[in-house]
Amino acid sequence: MKKSLKLIIVITIVACLLLPLLSACNKSETSSSNGADRLVIYNWEDYIDPDILDDFADYYEEVTGRSLSITYTTFDTNETMMTKVLKGDANVDLICPSEYAIEKLLTAGCLMSQKEIYQELQPRLEELDIDFDNMSSLGKGYGKVEDEIMDVISEMFKEIKANDGKTYDMTEFMVPYMWGTLGILYNVNKVSEEELEEYGWGVLWNVQENEDLENMILMKDSVRDTYAAAVLYMKEYDLLPAGHGYEDYSIGDLINCTDTAMLDAAEKVLTKQRDHISGYEVDFGKDDMLNEIVYADFAWSGDALWAIEESYDEESDDYMLGYYVPEIGSNIWYDGWVVPKSVNNKLAAMMFIDYMCEPMSGIRNSMEIGYTCAVDKESLQNDQDVCDFIEENEYDLDEYFDDIGRYPEINEKLGVMRDFGARGEALVGMWQRAKSGNGVSPVLWWCLLGIAGGVGLALGVYFLIQALRYRSRKIK
Amino acid sequence: MAKLKLKKFRLTKKVFSVPYILFLLLFVVIPLVLILVNAFLDSDNNLTLENFKTFFTSRANLIVLGNSLLVGVITTAFCLILGYPVAYICSKMSSGKIIVLLYILPMFVNFLIRTLATKAIFIAMGVELGMGTVLFGMVYNYLPFMIMPLHTTLSSIDKSYAEAAQDLGANKAAVFLKTTLPLSTSGIISGITMVFIPTISTYAISQLLSNGKIFLFGDSIQLSFEQGLYGVGSIMSLVMLVFVLLSNLVMNAFNSNSNAVRRSLW
Repeated sequence: MKKSLKLIIVITIVACLLLPLLSACNKSETSSSNGADRLVIYNWEDYIDPDILDDFADYYEEVTGRSLSITYTTFDTNETMMTKVLKGDANVDLICPSEYAIEKLLTAGCLMSQKEIYQELQPRLEELDIDFDNMSSLGKGYGKVEDEIMDVISEMFKEIKANDGKTYDMTEFMVPYMWGTLGILYNVNKVSEEELEEYGWGVLWNVQENEDLENMILMKDSVRDTYAAAVLYMKEYDLLPAGHGYEDYSIGDLINCTDTAMLDAAEKVLTKQRDHISGYEVDFGKDDMLNEIVYADFAWSGDALWAIEESYDEESDDYMLGYYVPEIGSNIWYDGWVVPKSVNNKLAAMMFIDYMCEPMSGIRNSMEIGYTCAVDKESLQNDQDVCDFIEENEYDLDEYFDDIGRYPEINEKLGVMRDFGARGEALVGMWQRAKSGNGVSPVLWWCLLGIAGGVGLALGVYFLIQALRYRSRKIK
Repeated sequence: MAKLKLKKFRLTKKVFSVPYILFLLLFVVIPLVLILVNAFLDSDNNLTLENFKTFFTSRANLIVLGNSLLVGVITTAFCLILGYPVAYICSKMSSGKIIVLLYILPMFVNFLIRTLATKAIFIAMGVELGMGTVLFGMVYNYLPFMIMPLHTTLSSIDKSYAEAAQDLGANKAAVFLKTTLPLSTSGIISGITMVFIPTISTYAISQLLSNGKIFLFGDSIQLSFEQGLYGVGSIMSLVMLVFVLLSNLVMNAFNSNSNAVRRSLW
């Protein structure tokens, strides 16, 4: 009797220990438990209109007759996402990385060709009587995706040499979702437009010595973006290392150049910048700008447009914030949907991408997050529902589509950044050095000196008192 | 055979340690081994010593390490200077336990939330974020870890020592310096260990309270792992581990030298 009791106790303990493990295993299983199909999406934080997920589930059920349960997970940087995917820990059906991350994943052989999936799914699609007309990756035109963007992508990423020795066309692996530029989000009351036009990227270094701006600038805590800013700043102020012919480089070549000379120069420039900025951020920049804690922020266009919209002041009928892309040039980026090799539900994944390329889905996401969707501008303008939706959100149609912050002119002044490959390590090293600054902060030395002085003084006083007392006793 | 085994099985104290040992193996020993292995691998998984070279020849890395150690020393010193009087006074008062509880209470709020709140207060006050605010945040966060062991040791000191010293004609200062202080050494040492070891590896506080401008060793490790530089990141972790072990050794050596009451909370 007693023995069995003991056994029960042990079994209970073991069971308690194993239970979490078991349930964890259950979670990672992607097959359906209650008869519903599953779709696991891995996207940036705050990068979708959450209602669209439900609408897509309804659409999926309508077309296939099966219910769909969507698991939506997020990442905060391309690097975290890539670490997970490259290690094979991400059991997902869809990912939405930036262009350089897609290139890297493609090189590592983690992605599936959407064109091939399409061919594979063909019989099923005919059965369901649907076709993916909106997508750009199926080798039959660009669908409803903006042609200009596709041209830039296919020019840059037409031939990607993967680790397996084959060459792939990246346009068959990704469908653009959102796109935008890098620029300066500024407070119109503190920074004038003339200043921006005259000094360009120099504003982030406070070259104009605007007293209001000193220590009121935020940079991105992200190596690639900050490096691009540093390089563009050097180009604008003729600080590029001499003797390498960098003067003749295009913007695209410049921001993709990771030569040692360039890295050293960028490190100097970034170290110098430390004295003029408030700090580095990736997520709180918009809020700090809105709360007037800082007056200039190095920002992505979507974040900037969102913040500008939020900064509308009813009393003065004006916006407190503005967004400016310096004349000299900038970075243009794209995020796109890719299907990783870990995909379980190909049909749902492809249907989701296609659904995202609908003008209405695009505009709904854009309204929610502020970024510019990659759906063709004309398709948007010609869609009555879209126009109504924009006006419902209190935008003027012409103003919305003519905003150069939202729809910049795509030309050679906007460069695409690529994967730095093996040089990435050198870049991170540079960033680490730039961030650690030049030496030990004087505050630390003063504190140390103060503490040592304080302790020394106390000890001195103590011994002095002791000595005095000893002497007086002796005289007695 | 199975029956035999079952017979041999007895529910002894040892059995209850099995879950913890398993836990330790899974979440402490194996990760440590992984770090050790990673330290000797390059990005293509070849055996190399290059990572050591990269770390120890980089001036920036050593500056960051030095900065972190300095911040650790200063934070510990401030905590001791601020914490000792508090613990001492509380141990003298009958309601001391409650007052100490008031000091510990903020610890129940997650430190990230507290740090964010601290940041908001600094911004509202117009204080410029930098090394000063980081030090404040560190001291604020780790002060309870100093007060707790100090208070336990101080309140467990037998009062008769102090009374005897007084009877023999010692004044208040002498009583404190000759009895209370030596008897509380073990508390001081566990307090220092409790504060110094986490401060040298901290990263979130420095990042939040300086807008990422102050870059400590913990931040450096985080950045390395985030960017996929596992080799260098592992070396940094190992260096950190060495410092933790070293400070533990030093503290233990001090502790065994003192013949103080070997009783403290931790």
